[in-house]
Amino acid sequence: MKTSKTTPAPAVRKQSFGSYIKRYWQLYLLLFLPMLYLLVFKYIPMIYVQIAFKKYSIVQSVWEMPLAKNHGMQYFIQAFSNPDFIRALRNTIVLNLLDLVVGFPIPIIFALILNELVFTKFKKAVQTITYMPHFLSWVIIYGIALQLFAPSTGLVNMVITKLGGEAVPFLNDTGHWVWTYIFLGVWQSFGWNSIVYLAAIAGINSELYEAASVDGAGRFQKMWHITLPGIKPTIVILLIMAIGNILGSGFDRPFALQNNLVMSWAEVLSTYIYRYGIKGLQFSLTTAVGLFQSIVGVIFLLGANYLSRKLGERGLW
Amino acid sequence: MKKKVLAAVLASAMVVSLAACAAPAAAPAASGGGEAAAPAASGEAEAEAPASELTDGKFAETRSITVEVYDRGNDGGSDPENNDYTRWIQQQMLEKHNVEVKFQKVPRWTEVDDINNLLAAGTAPDVCVTYSYPTVQTYADMGGVIDLAPYLEQYKDELPNLWNWLGETNLYWDKDPETGNVWAVEAKLANMNRILTFIRQDWLDTLGLEAPTTKEEFHDVLVAFKDNADTLLGADADKMVPYSVSYDVGWRAGTLIESFLDPEMTDKEYYINGFDDRKLTQNGTKEAVRLLNQWYNEGLMWNDFAIYSSGDTTEDDMMKAGYVGAFSHNWDYPFRNGEDSINANLKRLVGPEAGYVAIDPFEDKNGTHTKWLAGPVDRKVFFPSTNDEPLASLLYLDFISEPETIEYLQIGEAGVTHEDVEDGAVSIIAATGDAIQNSGMNIDYTITCNGLHLTTDEKTAKSLAYTYAGIDPAVVQAADAIAKTDTRIGVNVQTGNIEAEAGVGDVLSSKRDQIYDLAVSASVADFDSVWDSGMSDYLSSGGQAIMDERAAAWEKVYGDAEMLP
Repeated sequence: MKTSKTTPAPAVRKQSFGSYIKRYWQLYLLLFLPMLYLLVFKYIPMIYVQIAFKKYSIVQSVWEMPLAKNHGMQYFIQAFSNPDFIRALRNTIVLNLLDLVVGFPIPIIFALILNELVFTKFKKAVQTITYMPHFLSWVIIYGIALQLFAPSTGLVNMVITKLGGEAVPFLNDTGHWVWTYIFLGVWQSFGWNSIVYLAAIAGINSELYEAASVDGAGRFQKMWHITLPGIKPTIVILLIMAIGNILGSGFDRPFALQNNLVMSWAEVLSTYIYRYGIKGLQFSLTTAVGLFQSIVGVIFLLGANYLSRKLGERGLW
Repeated sequence: MKKKVLAAVLASAMVVSLAACAAPAAAPAASGGGEAAAPAASGEAEAEAPASELTDGKFAETRSITVEVYDRGNDGGSDPENNDYTRWIQQQMLEKHNVEVKFQKVPRWTEVDDINNLLAAGTAPDVCVTYSYPTVQTYADMGGVIDLAPYLEQYKDELPNLWNWLGETNLYWDKDPETGNVWAVEAKLANMNRILTFIRQDWLDTLGLEAPTTKEEFHDVLVAFKDNADTLLGADADKMVPYSVSYDVGWRAGTLIESFLDPEMTDKEYYINGFDDRKLTQNGTKEAVRLLNQWYNEGLMWNDFAIYSSGDTTEDDMMKAGYVGAFSHNWDYPFRNGEDSINANLKRLVGPEAGYVAIDPFEDKNGTHTKWLAGPVDRKVFFPSTNDEPLASLLYLDFISEPETIEYLQIGEAGVTHEDVEDGAVSIIAATGDAIQNSGMNIDYTITCNGLHLTTDEKTAKSLAYTYAGIDPAVVQAADAIAKTDTRIGVNVQTGNIEAEAGVGDVLSSKRDQIYDLAVSASVADFDSVWDSGMSDYLSSGGQAIMDERAAAWEKVYGDAEMLP
């Protein structure tokens, strides 16, 4: 919108969309596939959102299904009166908030530390090693966690008990499990997430640092007054996106890590949807839950974006 | 201009999406309609219909069907979709009925989840197999399953083997008393043996102990194992698990739980509290789990069991390595899988005298050892409504129920998978390569039969003990004898569809597993509160509604009767 206002000659633009395509057809061609992807995998499936308001039937098309009771709101009422749903909602919020509080600052701090390293070979090695876990599937990570943290056969607990301590129930006690969950999540992602910040840091004008040195600024002062402000827009954008995802959560991480003993804190919305919707065949109920999840996500996203613009930062748009 | 472009994009999105959603919607609708129409139409032309389609049991044109087969993911097993047996079946079906058979594998230990996903996606095989009738019922309610009743009647003459083998009992086991619908036929359990408890005979011998015959003796033996871990395991003493129960406690401690039920319980009570086949809601189960909880807190059980999920082989590996003193499982569990069986591994890794034998240690209140069997039914075979070849699929079931087919699949070729031993019995030998049977006696292919069933009863009886390659027949015979002691066979309660059961099976099963796991591993002081809060959650999540509806349905069909004939 802004660009159109500042364009000096709208009359020229008006007749030129076709000629733009002609002139830049290679670019539009490149754009075509991603657009098609979005259309097929993101927009077309939205048609089926109406299942949330209808009585699902496997043999009818989504347009033919009858409207659910209570003006289509039956499944929303059912979800919010189901204690399992409320529990999953609570767990999702708690786990994601903890993830945000613990997991969000760590990549930033890590990127700052890494940036201060002078010995580049060491820096590269550390970077590579820390982002490796990002490529491991959660099933494998759970396998590693079992080997390390199992109550009696896990390596960590074996060391603790051999030293005369009491085994720590990392995986089989709800309180400990939550922290194991958070820790594994941070371990898996902080190296990868720090890449964005490192890239942002690389974009800061080095003259600023030189000038600061001349003025007698120390390491921490430079970090605080130059590096952090320099990557602030990046931090804000990533924070907005993280907040927008507060009711989301991948499926594989909680699903792979949960076990029967900790389900009261490990069942989150995505696994709840799987258990009730796909395994329990209650497609309408869980589409309603999914829709609720998305709408809350959008509200949070818009709210965070609005706030950040209010506070004088660039938002997502 | 921008608006126009946007409008164009949106419009084209709409068109594409409409087309896209119309296509998949049309397909099931069409086949759903076909399902209703087919029996009616063929019913009118009953006299000539079979003749027009089949000549000497063969189709004029080659038909094609897909058949589900369980994938057990065995170490070194053969490809479940392509091995000696699948090729033999394919060739026979082509010769006999001109039907082309393709196999589609479904992981055994997550079969209910997987078949659910396949059904929901409309890509399920034409012939589906599952242990979960609620799954079949749920899809039937949505119109996703073919009603077999009219086909079974109409093609009775074309299906002699199916009718002979399953008979009315199994074909109509799930028949709805009001509507007459048959959504699935029940495979026949040729051998009804269920769960047994096993113990390391060599450990008993080393410690000079007798096989336990009561719970108290069993407990004393476990304590003795634990106290003598250094003698029995040496350096690995801290790895010992005297009694192992893991994922699915309701099955894995089944014999213990059953010993707490009243052996004279009425059929009515057993049915009303019996939606959960792991007996969670039966009277007596709580006390059984309390005993397990005590053993757990005495350090007699596997501390970490609950963090390993279904299909994990950690526990099997511990048994194979010789760390486990006793466990309960399927009556032939330590004998299964030939060279990779638990007993064969023990012989290799621990010593020639090592091995598990069956015992019967859990007495009930009468001093007997009642084993609650399910009835002569096993897996449920059904056709989803995406099946366009119901007759060809039924012919497949007929072929797979033929005595000769069952015998061939169970014992294979002479010299490859079996050899003849004294007076007409056959003995299974370990096969290699594509002749390996991934499941004991190829149960995954004989989908209408579970348990050894050879062409003559005499041969079957004599051969049973020889069906486990590398296992001493005497050990198998002893286990079989115990499994057949004090049995109570389940009766078929035909009350029709219980609405409250639809769609909640998986949720309730997962709650059940949580209750069992939490209760077993709770501290002794917390046991009651953990069990009671779990149960109240279970009952309020649909468990109570099911019991109430079952009670009402029983009274409607059977009146005041407490027992069925």
